[in-house]
Amino acid sequence: MSTPLIQTRQLTISFGAHKAVNNVSIEIEKDIFTTIIGPNGAGKTTLFNLISGLLRPTGGQVLFKGTDITHLSPLQRVALGMGRSFQLTNVFPALTVQENVRLALQAQARIGYRIFADHRKFRQLNEKTGLLLEQVLLQEKKNFLAASLTHGEQRKLELAMVLALDPEVLLLDEPTAGMALEEVPAMFELLDRTKKVTDKTIVLIEHKMDLVTGLSDQVIVLVNGSVLAQGSPPEVAANPAVLAAYLGGGVLSEACA
Amino acid sequence: MKTPAVIKLVTAGAKDRKQFVAGSAVALIAAAFLLMLPGFAGHATISLFSRIFILAVFGMSYDILRGFTGVINLGHAVFFGSGTYLAGILFLRLDPTPGTLLLAVIVTVVYCSAAAFIMGKIAFRGGGVIACAMITLALGEIVRHLAETWRDVTMGADGLTFPIPYMFRDRLLFYYYALLFLILMVIVLRRFVLSPTGRVLLAIRENEQRAIFLGYNTTTYKMISLQVGGISAGLSGVMFALLTRFANTELLTIQQTLNALLVTIVGGTGTLYGAIVGTAFVQLIQHYLLTLRDVHPVFTRWLLFFGSIYILVVLYMPAGIVGAYRQLADLLSSRNKKKIA
Ligand SMILES: Nc1ncnc2c1ncn2[C@@H]1O[C@H](COP(=O)(O)OP(=O)(O)OP(=O)(O)O)[C@@H](O)[C@H]1O
Ligand SMILES: [Mg+2]
Repeated sequence: MSTPLIQTRQLTISFGAHKAVNNVSIEIEKDIFTTIIGPNGAGKTTLFNLISGLLRPTGGQVLFKGTDITHLSPLQRVALGMGRSFQLTNVFPALTVQENVRLALQAQARIGYRIFADHRKFRQLNEKTGLLLEQVLLQEKKNFLAASLTHGEQRKLELAMVLALDPEVLLLDEPTAGMALEEVPAMFELLDRTKKVTDKTIVLIEHKMDLVTGLSDQVIVLVNGSVLAQGSPPEVAANPAVLAAYLGGGVLSEACA
Repeated sequence: MKTPAVIKLVTAGAKDRKQFVAGSAVALIAAAFLLMLPGFAGHATISLFSRIFILAVFGMSYDILRGFTGVINLGHAVFFGSGTYLAGILFLRLDPTPGTLLLAVIVTVVYCSAAAFIMGKIAFRGGGVIACAMITLALGEIVRHLAETWRDVTMGADGLTFPIPYMFRDRLLFYYYALLFLILMVIVLRRFVLSPTGRVLLAIRENEQRAIFLGYNTTTYKMISLQVGGISAGLSGVMFALLTRFANTELLTIQQTLNALLVTIVGGTGTLYGAIVGTAFVQLIQHYLLTLRDVHPVFTRWLLFFGSIYILVVLYMPAGIVGAYRQLADLLSSRNKKKIA
């Protein structure tokens, strides 16, 4: 078997006495679409923070292509090919939509230290910006300030920014969080399209299982900081532990309603 | 929708072109006025404007940091004051020739670059905006204190009077030198903020964490910003030496830094040109309030009036004068578009 793209070994972080992520060992293979689900406070975002380097674990390891990256900075992990989006919208509010995406592309193009070039004169970047905005259906808003977009549009903008980085793995933290209900299907269509046109490894955090069964190759269920179940969507849905944990009033019943 | 009208703009191309035409027109009118000003203005006015040109560069250098990068540097006066001192000391120790001035410029650039490097290494260690403000404040105070105690060289609190090269002694000629200096610095700094590097600074100002997750080494970019801001401030300090022929430790104080902060707020933060407009506004008001002293004694309290005007500007033009102008222009252009449509 090939080395997994991302691997965690007994990954743990405690905030005081509370173990937000507890002994999590998962493997994410290349070109696989993984969804992490779990109730509020399960530790999903914290797990992303550990993988992307925003938090340092109190125990365990994070490996990227078999190399231990536990002690690398977020910046170093981005350089290795990790791109992430945030649950709480995280864009450059007073810059235009176009400039938000262009900045992401510029980071990739490594022209940041050209202090006397004109940023508008890099045709390739401008063209790519246009393509990405088209891809996330924001081309008509390109000259709007990011702050003036609706919440749903900001989520799409953030997706475009992660895609612009062209990372090997995309870590997407609830791209539909806080979206109006009618905007959610469009986002999943977008993710579906992204999955098909790019050959990216995608790790998605979601609340609602039913929305992701069609997309996912693998589902990981996180509860109270620990992995409760892991497998293909049907396997997980049929898992007795998952059923027991969720049928009472958790994620699955919410999704079925 | 609650989208402000300002933001509802049409295509970038049309907007850019319009802005360019409007901007060029304003610049041309301003340049024509300033070139002809010595024809009808007195000595005092000419000196006042020379002062405005030089302090405007100091203001712009501060805007690079606070307005474009979101870094609050409370020790920024160190760069400005050091420029003035270095020029003064060299004129006094060597002789006041253009060659010495060239040396002063080189020494100032090297000194400010080194100072910015040290300051940045200490202030950008990851403590956030407030920690950076406090550290730079402390560093500024240390330098001021050193200048005050090193009496042999700086003359301490008495201040340092020095001669300047002959070719800069004529006030009228110096007016043009100062104007040329301002124009050159506007060109250089404008290029800088429009460069890919300048855009990353904006990203850092807006959301540093996101900039890191795009893969930008934000600390390095902040160091570059401090280099550009520090060296520009140092050069304006050298020009200030030629203007006043005098240096004292006041040039190194937090008050001097706050003056730069004030002009960028009044003129418009993060606009570059705002620092020019703000400096002109502040200096002219200060000057005319002072002359009104003779009309009525109440104007000896000019600071009071000045404070009130300042508060009015902040309250009613939160984006500063240049910011308000841009909003107005955008508003008008979007109105026109609606009429046509
Ligand atoms: N920096 C922190 N300091 C202290 N506690 C934290 C911190 N980050 C997360 N936690 C706690 O860890 C637990 C897991 O939080 P996390 O945000 O990872 O949950 P989540 O699964 O993403 O939930 P949600 O679905 O609501 O986004 C919560 O109890 C939270 O309060
Ligand atoms: Mg979360």
